[in-house]
Amino acid sequence: MAGQPYMRVENLVKRFGPFTALAGVSLEIFPGEVHALLGDNGAGKSTLIKILAGVHRASEGQIYVEGRPVTFRSPRDATAAGIGTVYQDLALNQLMSVTRNFFMGREIKNRLGVLKMDEMDRIAHDEMLKIGIDFSDPTQAVGTMSGGQRQTLAIARAIYFGAKVLILDEPTSALGQKQQMGVLKTIKKVRKRGDIAIIFITHNEIHSRLVADRYTFLALGKVIGAGTRDSLEHGEIRRLMAGGAEMADLEQELESV
Amino acid sequence: MDVIERSESDRLRQENWIQRTVRRPEIGAFMVMAVIIVALYFASDGRAFNALGVKNNVAIIAQFGIIATGAALLMIAGEFDLSIGSMIGFAGMSMAMMLKWGLPFGLGEATPFAAFAVTLAMTLTLGWIIGNIVVRSGLSSFIVTLGFLFFLRGTTEVSFRLINKSTQISGLPDYKETSWFADLMGGEVFGWFYDAWFWLGGNLNRKGEQWVTGFDARFLWWILIAGVAWLILSRTQLGNWIFATGDDKEAARANGVPVNKVKIGLFMFTAFCATIFAACQVFDTNTSDAAKGNLKELEAIAIAVVGGTLMTGGFGSVLGVIFGAVTVGLVANAVFFIPWIDGSWFRVFVGTVLLAAVFANERIRKRITGGI
Ligand SMILES: Nc1ncnc2c1ncn2[C@@H]1O[C@H](COP(=O)(O)OP(=O)(O)OP(=O)(O)O)[C@@H](O)[C@H]1O
Ligand SMILES: [Mg+2]
Repeated sequence: MAGQPYMRVENLVKRFGPFTALAGVSLEIFPGEVHALLGDNGAGKSTLIKILAGVHRASEGQIYVEGRPVTFRSPRDATAAGIGTVYQDLALNQLMSVTRNFFMGREIKNRLGVLKMDEMDRIAHDEMLKIGIDFSDPTQAVGTMSGGQRQTLAIARAIYFGAKVLILDEPTSALGQKQQMGVLKTIKKVRKRGDIAIIFITHNEIHSRLVADRYTFLALGKVIGAGTRDSLEHGEIRRLMAGGAEMADLEQELESV
Repeated sequence: MDVIERSESDRLRQENWIQRTVRRPEIGAFMVMAVIIVALYFASDGRAFNALGVKNNVAIIAQFGIIATGAALLMIAGEFDLSIGSMIGFAGMSMAMMLKWGLPFGLGEATPFAAFAVTLAMTLTLGWIIGNIVVRSGLSSFIVTLGFLFFLRGTTEVSFRLINKSTQISGLPDYKETSWFADLMGGEVFGWFYDAWFWLGGNLNRKGEQWVTGFDARFLWWILIAGVAWLILSRTQLGNWIFATGDDKEAARANGVPVNKVKIGLFMFTAFCATIFAACQVFDTNTSDAAKGNLKELEAIAIAVVGGTLMTGGFGSVLGVIFGAVTVGLVANAVFFIPWIDGSWFRVFVGTVLLAAVFANERIRKRITGGI
């Protein structure tokens, strides 16, 4: 894919006290592409996206959005710069309704500060319909929705509020087969718009194969491999996902137990 | 091929308004209230709801309602305030002492409004301090406000003894006659209600004259506070933020909700409610006492829970709190209308209803969160 990256990250370092969670990570994010971020448990994927989302501050390194250096002091800053994050835990409130969650922190109100509930109900319904689910009752509590529906709600919310980069942290884990495919379909639909870049974190090689255009592999806080879909071999992806170890070696290890 | 196209919307059963009403979270509190009203009516031979009975009942219901509204909003945001009762004592002492001994720093005599304004400034500051300690330290508000429960009660008693020599002030002039403000806090309101009652042939004393002339002013304050709280909670952005803060703080923060400001604001709101409570009391009776407001924080929390507020935050309704306040207020007063009853049954009742409410609320929470 050609063109300028929407967002560029250079040499991000994140230390938690004596522990270095990220040791100099760089990557480029292009609009209209799905960028798979892969790596073992504890590799630092969530830490990386939390920095991109303004939850953590980087210890070192720089983020560029459309070529300009930016610093995110809060999630609000990141949202304003077009970074929409769907966290592993989705940042949804279970006891609150679909609409109230959809607009949490960015409610629509009239001049007297009173919420325009009808308008908000309608928007929440329409936006979710656009990417795949027809939700009849926007007053339903999120706690009663299925995992896939919640995922869709969180994605629809991020897009509606102007996300140019959509970050999905393991959106398919903890879902049943059918719902996993539903989420992948949603990702494809968003990708087709062409203007939104998606960072897709997953442990599932097949899922990444199905939707990703570009890959970055993390291990122990470092990038151990990166490339486009065409430049990476199947076996290569597997090897990198396991943190650089040869699958054959792992299998041998398993045998010997 | 015979594929049935089913969409998500087909799976939701359409409910009529009765079914929807029955599923409302306030329904339990409403039923208990209805039972109490009927039982009290018969047990007191109707005396609980004659002209004076209604006035006295509303007076205590409004008292409970004012502080329970503050406690409930704070609980919905996920925090407790155990300092409400001591704050009432502190505010009452502060106002009465200024009225008797003048404004601090030799600023001269205190008008009722000045005494109230200076006191409110102090209590709001205290609420702000409590809120800041809670959000900055990350400690449980239970323990922080427990500290303030002791601190404020002690400060009240010490100040009384230092300045006033006694922990009581009585015999203040009746400011209601000279000050519009004192009348607004401690006078009578909604006189038209009792005028109409008289005009319709009721509300008579033994001589056949009009008996009761109006409700205590705190009724108006309760209506105002509950009305504003209801509007905020169910219809405004701030309301959405309060729910979001109490449900999952981190989720709310990730979406840009200023959770710390919400919490600090609500600690100031409970302090405000306690101050209104105290002002109504001081200007109604023209007295003050270091022991005022004792245990009121626990009653406020109990009423909030009876009204359907979740202990864990994120859920609750002002309407439920109104039902809770009516229920607890009526039972607290029942001893005056049913002479043969032992007043301590009040606590037995509150304890029982409280436990029942906690179980009911937990069921509602499980229903909403899918049983986790
Ligand atoms: N707030 C924190 N304080 C200290 N250490 C942290 C903190 N957050 C993360 N870490 C550490 O940083 C490392 C990377 O964590 P991270 O959550 O980014 O991993 P991950 O790649 O998302 O793993 P998973 O695939 O299991 O989600 C882990 O060793 C973790 O213990
Ligand atoms: Mg993670």
